[in-house]
Amino acid sequence: MGCMRQAGILATPHPWLSGVFAALLASLSAPTALAEHQHTSNEFEVFVAAEGLAGSGQPRRRDDDAWFNADVIFGMTREKFRVFGEYFITSAEHDLERFQVGYELIPDTTVWVGRFHQPASAWNTEHHHGRYLQTAITRPAIENWEDEEGLIPQHITGVLVESRRPLGREAGLQVSGGIGASPTLSTDGYSPISLIDSNPGRHGLSFTARLAYLPEYIGTSSTGLLYGHDSVFLRSAAALAALGSSRATLGIYGAYADLAVGDWRFIGTAYYVDIQLDGPGRDESFVSGYIQAERQLPYRLTTYARAEDSARMQKSRYVSLFDDRSGDIDITLRRLAGGLRWDYARRQALSLELSHVVSLDKRAYEARFQWSAAIP
Amino acid sequence: MAKVYAALMLTVVLLLCATAPADAGEELVLIVSAQSNIDGLDSSLVRKLFLGLTVNQLGSRLRPVLNESDDRIKELFLQNVVSMSDSTYDRYILRLSLLQGRTQPTVFKDKKKLIDDIAADPSAVGYVWAKDVAHDARVKIVRVLWHD
Repeated sequence: MGCMRQAGILATPHPWLSGVFAALLASLSAPTALAEHQHTSNEFEVFVAAEGLAGSGQPRRRDDDAWFNADVIFGMTREKFRVFGEYFITSAEHDLERFQVGYELIPDTTVWVGRFHQPASAWNTEHHHGRYLQTAITRPAIENWEDEEGLIPQHITGVLVESRRPLGREAGLQVSGGIGASPTLSTDGYSPISLIDSNPGRHGLSFTARLAYLPEYIGTSSTGLLYGHDSVFLRSAAALAALGSSRATLGIYGAYADLAVGDWRFIGTAYYVDIQLDGPGRDESFVSGYIQAERQLPYRLTTYARAEDSARMQKSRYVSLFDDRSGDIDITLRRLAGGLRWDYARRQALSLELSHVVSLDKRAYEARFQWSAAIP
Repeated sequence: MAKVYAALMLTVVLLLCATAPADAGEELVLIVSAQSNIDGLDSSLVRKLFLGLTVNQLGSRLRPVLNESDDRIKELFLQNVVSMSDSTYDRYILRLSLLQGRTQPTVFKDKKKLIDDIAADPSAVGYVWAKDVAHDARVKIVRVLWHD
């Protein structure tokens, strides 16, 4: 969710942004057939979800566990040009998560400028904010967004290159690389560049990349390597005092696999995160990973299970900065989750998920029930 | 008695003929506008096109058009072109917009409107029963996707 606005959802963003939205919406409502013959096409999709949560050991719903959310996707393609945005709205907050302007240099190779999801996240580059397209209700903790006490910067503003090239007769190679401004860090977590608000503090540089092998060029399976290098400036006295450093440099090294085999799907990711601190502060590192298995069953049912684990997180001063001591679960060290999804109607699903969570200072059992849909 | 038996046999034969599949010998074909320079598309390009990837042919960027005017056509398309179940293909198509802002293929529930749309746009590619375009000079067949 990036740096969500803490205003009501009806709060007015900057006037220039309202103009951009109005122009986009006007273009989206243009007669489709006419637009198509001019080689212009529009996209407008809304992913909505409502969730109920119960459990023990978790005193209250987390800030980011809003009972309702809507992910509005809008895009326009004209010849090789593209404009694309993602606006995320919850019952309490809203933000422009992505806004990208792109040019397709050659087929399936596009250069984007704007705010984007960094490509070194295996989960977020696949599912983004829309709940309907991810089988599980929850996302792995290491893939959390910045305002969910996420430990890895996810929203970068700069330039992104995405390319998919054939490899032999069947396979393909996917390369994505981004460079831009990384978030700042305070005791509230990361603050990425906002496109609709002011951006206090100094933003360092971020390089992120993914190199993936696709067994089938036009399939959904892939496996690959992830790399991130984020220079993060600290902008609160408490964070400076805790780390003894005004800047942290994150080195993120990961590997992932997302494989579909018949009715099965397996997703596994491991990250090694190296944290280098300027000044006398001690450097740190931690490891985090998860594996999820999904199985399609008759009657449009899908069952799934996921295990998440980590090492050295509880000893990290950097990680402890993200724990706001509010009594709810901020940093998940381990989680076992299992659930069942039922796609009971076209583009609508009901899901139930049970999980056991071990955080920095407590253990909890959670039960979640979700309705999710894509409109239209 | 022999006459009655012959009449009964004739009736049975006629009834069998009357209940024979109406779509026997039918073909599902890929069509483009008659103005298009394209004369053929191989199966991998067709699959790529309907899975939302960029396909350029003879300098033209192709635009896929989905035909949902008939359940049987939809079933044959899923089996023979994209090789996916209905729900898997639907989620795949939805992902396109979320991942890269790519446009989902246009869906037509009315075959006449679909044919009109393809006829008017040299970059459009769609599929219909061959009999529905047999005498339509505005479009041409570039591939047989399935035949009975």
